Amino acid sequence: MDEKQQEDSLDRQLREAAPYIDDEGFTARVLQQLPPPRRGRDSLRAVILLGITLLASALAYVLSDGGRFLVVAMARLTALPTLWLLALAFGSGFFFMAGGVVVALSKASEPRP
Amino acid sequence: MELTDGDLIARVLVDDDQHAFGELVRRHQSSVRGLLRQLTRTDVAIADDLAQETFLRAYKNIRSFRGEARFSTWLYRIAYNCFRENARRRKEFVGIDEEQLQSEHDPQVADPALRHDLMYALSLLSLHERSAILLCCQNGLSHEEAARVLDIPLGTVKTNVLRGREKLKRSLAAWGPD
Repeated sequence: MDEKQQEDSLDRQLREAAPYIDDEGFTARVLQQLPPPRRGRDSLRAVILLGITLLASALAYVLSDGGRFLVVAMARLTALPTLWLLALAFGSGFFFMAGGVVVALSKASEPRP
Repeated sequence: MELTDGDLIARVLVDDDQHAFGELVRRHQSSVRGLLRQLTRTDVAIADDLAQETFLRAYKNIRSFRGEARFSTWLYRIAYNCFRENARRRKEFVGIDEEQLQSEHDPQVADPALRHDLMYALSLLSLHERSAILLCCQNGLSHEEAARVLDIPLGTVKTNVLRGREKLKRSLAAWGPD
């Protein structure tokens, strides 16, 4: 018997020597230990987040005199020199691109549980 | 038509469907428990505890499974990590390490009835050789997949498989047929 046949024979013997293990309640035991389904928790979290967002928006609107600070900020922005505006646009573009690259790289390798 | 592993995983991800996860457990429990029994040298109780831990971790981390590898390969990786953590804990708290376990399985003092058993020959290999042989030869993983599961370089896996095979052949040849 050549080397390859010997290896195949050994592999076959190894596979045959590992019989199927009957479940015998194993799956049931695992399912019993699982945390409760998260659907209920998720919808509660969504309601809380939405409520807080609406409350914060209403508060900001009232405190900022009807959103006047936005108009003021835009007016200041248009008054900036063109070069400054360009630098600001490139800077913010670069910032968000770098953030995206970092997130993509961190997700590139399958995390180890 | 039977659902694929991918379909079942999608159900777990979208609907948090625990019945679908149960089907995944049913499909893979035998191979995961078998692997852990071999790694723990047939300590069934510890192996089954580790297998439960493996599936619980798989459920909690299923969002990190992106389908680049087979689901079974991903499970083997979790199982191997559980085994290593348990072995480390045992070494720290009880003082049992791989060398001691090795000496407990001295073929000279073992039950003669077990000598001809291929699985017994397997249990005499070092942990790294045994893991590589179990994954590649018994469970049919490629060397690349085994390297990912064991988190070691590809060349080391190939070496361990080669050495493990040689030792197994030598053991079986030395014991000879009845």
